[in-house]
Amino acid sequence: MKAAVDERLDGLRGSAPRLTYSARSLAALENNPRCTLRAVLDASGSDKAAIAAHAGFPTPFGQSPFAIARGNAFEALVKANGCAELIRVLRETLKLTLPEVAYQDLNDVGGNASPEVRCTRTRQLLVNTALGKFPGTLYDHPMLRLQVGGHTVFLEPDLVAFRIEDRFHVVEIKSFPIIDDQADPAQVKAATTQASAYVIALRAMLAEAGIGPDAVSDTIVLVAPKDFTNSPTAAFVDARKQVATLTRQLTRIERIGDLVSLLPEELTFDLAVDEAGKAQRPAEELAAALDQVPALYRPDCLSHCEMAFFCRSRARACASLDVLGPTVREQLGGIDTATMALGLARGELTADVDQAEMAAALRHAARLRAEVLGQPGGAGAAA
Amino acid sequence: MSKVSAMAHLEAMEQMRAVPLTVFRHRRLSIKPLVIVPLTMAGEAGAPLAAMAGTARTAPKLLVVDQPRNRDQRFAFAADLGRIVMDYINSHRLHRRDVTSRGDGPTSRYSDAPQILVPNPGGIKVLADLGRMCRFRKTDGDYPVQPVVPLLGMWLTFLAESAEQAGTSMLLPVTGMLGEHWATGQSVMEDQNLASIMGWIAPADGVSVEQAIADAENPAVCPPAGPATSPEFDKTYLAPAVKRFDDARALGDPTAITAAETDLRELIGEQIKPTWRLMWSAISLLRAVPEAPRTAARFERDLASFTAYSDYQDEGALPQRKRDAAIGAARRLSRLERAQADFEADMAFDDSLVLADLRSVGEAFAGTVTAAETDRVVTTAKNRRVPRPRITVTTDDPVRLAPGVILISPSMPNNHKALIISSAPDEESTQITVEITGGMGRGVVPQKGTVPSLGQRIAYLPDPGWRPTPVFPEPDSIPWTHSSLADEDPDTDTDAAEGWGDAD
Ligand code: SF4
Repeated sequence: MKAAVDERLDGLRGSAPRLTYSARSLAALENNPRCTLRAVLDASGSDKAAIAAHAGFPTPFGQSPFAIARGNAFEALVKANGCAELIRVLRETLKLTLPEVAYQDLNDVGGNASPEVRCTRTRQLLVNTALGKFPGTLYDHPMLRLQVGGHTVFLEPDLVAFRIEDRFHVVEIKSFPIIDDQADPAQVKAATTQASAYVIALRAMLAEAGIGPDAVSDTIVLVAPKDFTNSPTAAFVDARKQVATLTRQLTRIERIGDLVSLLPEELTFDLAVDEAGKAQRPAEELAAALDQVPALYRPDCLSHCEMAFFCRSRARACASLDVLGPTVREQLGGIDTATMALGLARGELTADVDQAEMAAALRHAARLRAEVLGQPGGAGAAA
Repeated sequence: MSKVSAMAHLEAMEQMRAVPLTVFRHRRLSIKPLVIVPLTMAGEAGAPLAAMAGTARTAPKLLVVDQPRNRDQRFAFAADLGRIVMDYINSHRLHRRDVTSRGDGPTSRYSDAPQILVPNPGGIKVLADLGRMCRFRKTDGDYPVQPVVPLLGMWLTFLAESAEQAGTSMLLPVTGMLGEHWATGQSVMEDQNLASIMGWIAPADGVSVEQAIADAENPAVCPPAGPATSPEFDKTYLAPAVKRFDDARALGDPTAITAAETDLRELIGEQIKPTWRLMWSAISLLRAVPEAPRTAARFERDLASFTAYSDYQDEGALPQRKRDAAIGAARRLSRLERAQADFEADMAFDDSLVLADLRSVGEAFAGTVTAAETDRVVTTAKNRRVPRPRITVTTDDPVRLAPGVILISPSMPNNHKALIISSAPDEESTQITVEITGGMGRGVVPQKGTVPSLGQRIAYLPDPGWRPTPVFPEPDSIPWTHSSLADEDPDTDTDAAEGWGDAD
């Protein structure tokens, strides 16, 4: 069964190399989890950016070199000299009692940096620590492994796991500032979700050794620049909700087979790349293939998903209310398109039983607008 | 948002152009606003990259930081911007007029207040951050700055705080002003792109709305209005140009430094100018929309708070604290909520389209007077005979206001007040009986024109003034759980010594 699903997913991806999930793409699952198109593209390891671009809708999802440089510089600063700065904020800002600090760099194992080797080494160390056989405190660059949709995903960097009072904590180092104890909520949320992937992976790894989930805290430690300085500060962030949500999304991926089985047999997003590396598949054909999979566009997609411009053009083409976003959408529950809403409002369409109440409200709203706009100036006295 | 506003967005989608959402512009537009287009460096909090500023479309000032990560250059930029902002603010501190003061507030007010306009909410955030970064700076000690820097910091903080309060006009994002008056066929998020919302309202000659909004998202055609520059631009142009400047400085070669500086200015000028032009086009569009009547009364409150803060500055102000204490935060939240409710009521009172929004959800109504008992008189508890006429309004609106709600009416003289007595649905329409309680003069016979007459069309909405002002404990009676010693701390400022090291 599983194999059949994998075969279908490989077929969907076509000849392109498989892209694996990263903590970042796992975190993206939290946004718009019900979109089949994205679920299928991600599970099949397809390159969304390349597909969107070839279909005629490149999404500008670049990161500025300044932001990258800043991120790297800050991480290096926090981790320099065996995480001296990190230890300082854990002690001073978070008031943690770290008696003696044993720092372990798991970046490579005797010069071997392959994910498998590092992962084995990580597991060995962390399991022994959890069992009390090894007195570790700080682990830099552990390599974790998570099964996502039947495929092994290695999750790593940026992560320091530290152990205090018999529990591991995940540390997420970010370069957005915490100004006067407050940080941008959207960025904190993204960082927390990403850290949740690590919490889940860490728990899964320990579970293999029969160690319960309590060994890993679902409170994460966010380390970020303080105010406008370069020096780090830290805060505890409760990740319980996001760990639960992400766990649910991961279970959904396990059931990707259900979604895939609804798609036409021959469907593929293959770009038919030739020897020179150029995609040869006609763009319309690719777009038509994408159209076979239900998408769930929302304006939010513009900040999360490489397919956004493509999906938005589809939503616009059928006058879907999704292009207007939730504030308008929730006014028009049960109606999907502007054409339908306006048709009902103008009495040009007859409402079915379910829509009767909405249709009456829309007709009233349309009448109100006409009443006011009909009046020149529409001045004060609204009556 | 209600179904009437939703309808406007649907029409915009159908017609592929923006349609009006309100009859009026509810924000004051100064005859001489100070426009600031700030740009920041990606990934760095409070690292200004550039700003274009000025009070007229022509001859703006362009300020550029050659190396945003260098603290000296950063504060030199703050000082330059500070001079522009302070000149502008000070030009509003010349004329005062007397006001009848209630309580112990100042007895005179400035006759005009500043108005700073930025492209989008991100622009406000930049100015707020800059305010935070500058207001604690010292003019002496290890890292001295020019005196205008902390001054700018305090004023920007004041303005940014005022901007959080609904209905104020001293610091506003232009996309917000446009979005308040026009509905587009796209989401709120996309409307925060200045070029995009302008594309819906007034695309350039010969350009379709479709093309204009596509261009708005293409940084190669239409550089973003900031605060961040496009990653593509950073990679291809900005990073190499900053590096050339750094190299030239490292070599100490004056010709190379000047060349690199000129280069950077040109590069950034090209990125910022399209936004600058759009800002002024947006301002002329907004100017053409008639201003709502109650905007003037709200502006009085701006003048009062501007004057009060200004006087505080004259007395030698301390920088605003970093975070509100618990009570301060609660008081502030309550003030913001109240301002929001008042602003919404003001808009509904002035603007029949906004009123229609409330009517569609049953929070206001309009209809015809179908019964009137105009000579009704009652005797009060104090044994005084007062007129209390009752009228019945028949409306098609789905009214959801309960008996006991106090009403005001845009169709009647200003101090008209009424009370809902009963509300009876009848087939498609509803009959609402209200008692007129105010605005009829002092006599037992109401003054002419103060009581609605039979057959008259009339609109009513709830009086926002009925809510009691919450009472907060005085600082010394705060339970210790809500009090924090840190709140009382004088600002311990460690930032002054911060190392921005890497680039110096
Ligand atoms: S952009 Fe398209 S594919 Fe991506 S999440 Fe949104 S609807 Fe799904």
